Amino acid sequence: MNGIKKKYKGLDPLPPDFVRIHAPLAFVVEEDCIGCDRCIPICFFDALVMVDKPEHKYKRVALVDLANCTGCGLCFEACPTDAFIWVPDKSNGGPISRSASAMTNGII
Amino acid sequence: MELSSPLIVASGPASHDVRQIRIAEEKGFGAVVLKTVCSAKYDEMRYWPRPRYKLLDWDKQIAGRSKQFTLYSYEQGYSGRLEDYWKFVEICKKKTKIPIIGSAFAGVPEDWVDLASHIEQSGADAVELDISSPHRPGSLEFETTFVAAIKAVVGAVKIPVLAKLALGPDVLSQCLIAQDCGAAAVTLCNRLRGIDIDIESHRPILHGYYGGVGGPWAKYYNFGYVAEAAGKLKIQISATGGVMTSEDVIKYVLLGASTVQILSVIMVNGWDSASTINSGILSYLNRKNLKSLDEIRGNAVDHLTSPEEIVRWSGESKKGPRNEWD
Ligand SMILES: Cc1cc2nc3c(=O)[nH]c(=O)nc-3n(C[C@H](O)[C@H](O)[C@H](O)COP(=O)(O)O)c2cc1C
Ligand code: SF4
Ligand code: SF4
Repeated sequence: MNGIKKKYKGLDPLPPDFVRIHAPLAFVVEEDCIGCDRCIPICFFDALVMVDKPEHKYKRVALVDLANCTGCGLCFEACPTDAFIWVPDKSNGGPISRSASAMTNGII
Repeated sequence: MELSSPLIVASGPASHDVRQIRIAEEKGFGAVVLKTVCSAKYDEMRYWPRPRYKLLDWDKQIAGRSKQFTLYSYEQGYSGRLEDYWKFVEICKKKTKIPIIGSAFAGVPEDWVDLASHIEQSGADAVELDISSPHRPGSLEFETTFVAAIKAVVGAVKIPVLAKLALGPDVLSQCLIAQDCGAAAVTLCNRLRGIDIDIESHRPILHGYYGGVGGPWAKYYNFGYVAEAAGKLKIQISATGGVMTSEDVIKYVLLGASTVQILSVIMVNGWDSASTINSGILSYLNRKNLKSLDEIRGNAVDHLTSPEEIVRWSGESKKGPRNEWD
């Protein structure tokens, strides 16, 4: 969210600055999570789970399983409090380069 | 192929992994079209940009209840290797009872045949060819990428072949060609290619290139294409595009669709949207005293009038309040 938080704005139009160097992964800022469960069904890669957190105001929070996250961005749109941010996956090698032809064809 | 429900999961992120197919079965889907696998030539398509989805004009306060949004995306093929896909089909067949429709995308006819044959050998009940030609540059390729591909696949496999077409002015003629080539059904229609721009940076959003666009609004175009095709085709129509509610499904059936494929609604409202849609269809059937949707399939097409029969009246007279004539 590049540090600026507006009310319920969802996903930024552009990817995070580090996208060319590291793969972006979603991450839940726990203080902002209200434990509403809305992000859970929207993740098709089983990368989101609710975990108990007794010391948290809402007792439970969403957690991204970083190993499963494909960085699709949908959870950002589902979250009513904009609790999601991008974090770089530093374990992932460089981006996959693609030929120019792949960009003109294909399923969208 | 007999389906328990006309509702099918459309090819995409909701049919990319085995567990999802089990959920689809549990939630009452009649069949599943698996995420499209691309031939080796398009290997790059297994890799996706991040992020790759954005909900445009999306009202977070009312979430999926919003009927006005666009799902913008750039997600191409199945993300595993070809061997993984064959195994994916096999396991889906072993673990579920609903019909499994494989989906393929390739360039030259040999590659289409290779994918379709592997899909058949892996046990799929049918194969859908994501042959939406407007995604490819140049209509000159139509003969090789469309006609030859469908013919070759139909000649090579025994399972039914569905041709998934793109929206466009020539949908009807493409449907007729697909029928002539031996397709068992046409899937109408894939999403459109579009683009959105960030006016602060002047850049196209997300990955910086065109994306797929669709949303609840897309059904109105597609209703028209389905109606036109239903009046002319002998083969089945699987409708896809913009379904949010049971009413949308009923409309597609009234316009002649045999099955209806959905995806965006699952993405924004979750898997339970299938149960909601199915129970909506049931209560409609009860209210209308019908045993099944088969009884009303295509009825709305029979009510289509012709331009000659439209009741017409004169427009505004020359002396009307908006005119300056004398
Ligand atoms: C994120 C996303 C990915 C998709 N991927 C594929 C695909 O791989 N192959 C395909 O034939 N259609 C694909 N589609 C199109 C869908 O199968 C479906 O036909 C389309 O989204 C219209 O239905 P809907 O309005 O219910 O979403 C995709 C759609 C979306 C939104
Ligand atoms: S970015 Fe996509 S894959 Fe990752 S947690 Fe969010 S919804 Fe799941
Ligand atoms: S949608 Fe947002 S607030 Fe709700 S559980 Fe998920 S992260 Fe927490």
